[in-house]
Amino acid sequence: MHFYESSIITTKDGLHCQVYGNEHPKEAVLVKPKYIPTDKIESSVLPYRFISSRKMNRLNFWVEKEGLRQYIENFTIAYPYYLYKSSFHDSHRLFFAVPIEQIERIYFPRRGLKELMSMPLEALDPHLRNVYQFVQLLVQSGLRLKDLGVTYSTLMGHYMQNISDINIVVYGKEQFWKLMSFMEKVQHPSLRWKSDEEWQEFLQKRSRFHRFGKEFGLRIMKRKHSEGFFNDTLFVIFAAEKEEEVWFKWGEEQYQEQGLVTVQATVVDNKSSVVRPGCYEVSDVIVMRGENKENIKKIVFYNRDYCMVAFPGEKIEARGILEKVIPKNGEKYHRVVVGYLDAYISDRREEEFIKLKE
Amino acid sequence: MVYFPESTLIDTIDGFQCKSYASEHPPGYIIVKPKYIPKSALEGDGLKYRFLFEKCLVRFNLFVSKEKLQNYVSQFRKKFSDYIYDCPLHHNWFFVIPFDKIKTIHDGRKGLQELLQIPKKDLDSYLILVRELIEFLKKSGVPTTDLGITHSTLLGNYTPGTSDIDIIIYGKENGWKILNYLQTATHPLLKWKTEEQWRQYYQEHKTSESKHFTEDEYVRHMIRKNYEGTFGGTVFTLFTSEERDETWFRWGEERYQPLGVATIQGKVVDHYNSHVRPGYYELVEGEVLEIEPGKSIDKNVPLRRVVTYSIPFVQQAVTGETLKACGLLELVTPKAGELYYRLVVGYFDAYVSERREQEYIKSEG
Repeated sequence: MHFYESSIITTKDGLHCQVYGNEHPKEAVLVKPKYIPTDKIESSVLPYRFISSRKMNRLNFWVEKEGLRQYIENFTIAYPYYLYKSSFHDSHRLFFAVPIEQIERIYFPRRGLKELMSMPLEALDPHLRNVYQFVQLLVQSGLRLKDLGVTYSTLMGHYMQNISDINIVVYGKEQFWKLMSFMEKVQHPSLRWKSDEEWQEFLQKRSRFHRFGKEFGLRIMKRKHSEGFFNDTLFVIFAAEKEEEVWFKWGEEQYQEQGLVTVQATVVDNKSSVVRPGCYEVSDVIVMRGENKENIKKIVFYNRDYCMVAFPGEKIEARGILEKVIPKNGEKYHRVVVGYLDAYISDRREEEFIKLKE
Repeated sequence: MVYFPESTLIDTIDGFQCKSYASEHPPGYIIVKPKYIPKSALEGDGLKYRFLFEKCLVRFNLFVSKEKLQNYVSQFRKKFSDYIYDCPLHHNWFFVIPFDKIKTIHDGRKGLQELLQIPKKDLDSYLILVRELIEFLKKSGVPTTDLGITHSTLLGNYTPGTSDIDIIIYGKENGWKILNYLQTATHPLLKWKTEEQWRQYYQEHKTSESKHFTEDEYVRHMIRKNYEGTFGGTVFTLFTSEERDETWFRWGEERYQPLGVATIQGKVVDHYNSHVRPGYYELVEGEVLEIEPGKSIDKNVPLRRVVTYSIPFVQQAVTGETLKACGLLELVTPKAGELYYRLVVGYFDAYVSERREQEYIKSEG
């Protein structure tokens, strides 16, 4: 089932969840719980927020690992119906999903932005005005307003002036790449890209220097045009796949884990590296560590940090779970997956990476 | 009769955000003031828009010009007739939410308890200020379990440095305890408007209410109220809400016959219920000074109460003072007890009629 990434779902029992991916099983929507009420479970390892009249834990997958593992364990007991057992993946894969009957409300980024852009400018506070003006810049790329959405705190209305980011969703990979080429060239007095120091600060968090490599980390980040500042407010632009352009369909393939591997490969196609899960099609794969398998065709990732890390012709190195892929139709092949949610409660959180090699 | 505490935010299945406007309600309904309604609901000039929770909403403002409001209420009546209750007891109408239209009730008391449990390190500057204000109010002897938060503080769509902090005090006794405490209590972050600032405010904010007061009268009334001040530079407002067992009337126990606009005077013998909505002043020696042409009253029926739905007229007079007021005179027929007159200020229909400019409550000292 297709359901756009980055929409927000609130559940009947008060969770705020972010839609995680664009392809979903029929009976539920895959999500990452973002804010979780503290009436059933709570953890002081996680940050707290006062949202929707409730004390919530913010589920951050980069907090102290043992505390996170314990919290996830408690979550599975308190909210068993939000754990999704995929019949297409190995049984220990961790997926969160909201069953359709648990949905209280869906916040749609595209609808929210359309509403926002229909408002008189004078009715908007400084944050919303900034979003409005930023979107006016983005549509100069040739994208239509309906190709864009706004999400997270701006959409939900609990943003903080001068603190909250602007999170823009672009509907369609093609549209996203079009916008990226526009952003590479565009000049605007309010637009500023991150300085080396700001990227260094970003890379120092969440083991990014390890995950991207010291040598190329800064280079990878600097060539991304999906993240910068507009009137000094951080903006992040990401893509959501249209139904007709998803790079896989849920249920069309079976995945079998073959262990942890490190591979080097040449990127053949990075068109799907702008979405979640993202994918680099690769060739000339060499297994550096782990079981040597032929026919590794894809490097897949769930962490948006790995979007647009490499371009066709470039060499990358990746460490993640090697999977045998058995399609319903077509030939079997292998892929490497980085950033399954279960990685965050194991040593893989620090071990897995995708790095540019040259 | 239905009890539901005043100042509680309610979302409806039609996308309205409303605030309960009383603590006693007709069976099957909650009397409310619509606060935000979907953009598609109203058309017209001068509407204020807000982007809230994914939607462009219109702020339903009772203080726009009368002609505009008449137009808005008329559209509202046509499109959302379920939200208007024509009350046979009052021969008047109220904005209401039918029970089956309720989507979410935002419990201010529960919300505050949730907020108080969050470690300070995870709070932003605005919520830290709210917590400090609550800690300060607690010193009055009112426990935090009898306090609540409302509006943007509760819903989380506040803007630090801009949004007010809106506090609900549950219980009339608790309300007076805090208001009395604030008469003398000090805190480095607490500031009240000085006499000079009230004078300036009077000059700069001419309203339909304030025009009935000279500058001196206005200042004399406002300076002794302690329901609005600033804390750490942020405006805070205190609303007292009646508890279940202490509402001063029960819906359905009385019938009200509107008689027309009148100006009355009387001596306040009890102001205990003057800090809630609706609030009232109990009078003796009440007399009707003026009534609409063609209307008459029975001199043998006592004028006993002045009732207000309008927040600017809460805590206007205290026991022992002479009170003068203009509003809608009603003949009250209780199920048990004697007939009496009361004067009501701030019914919804007043905002779309001539009464809007006429109504006031004033202490003559």
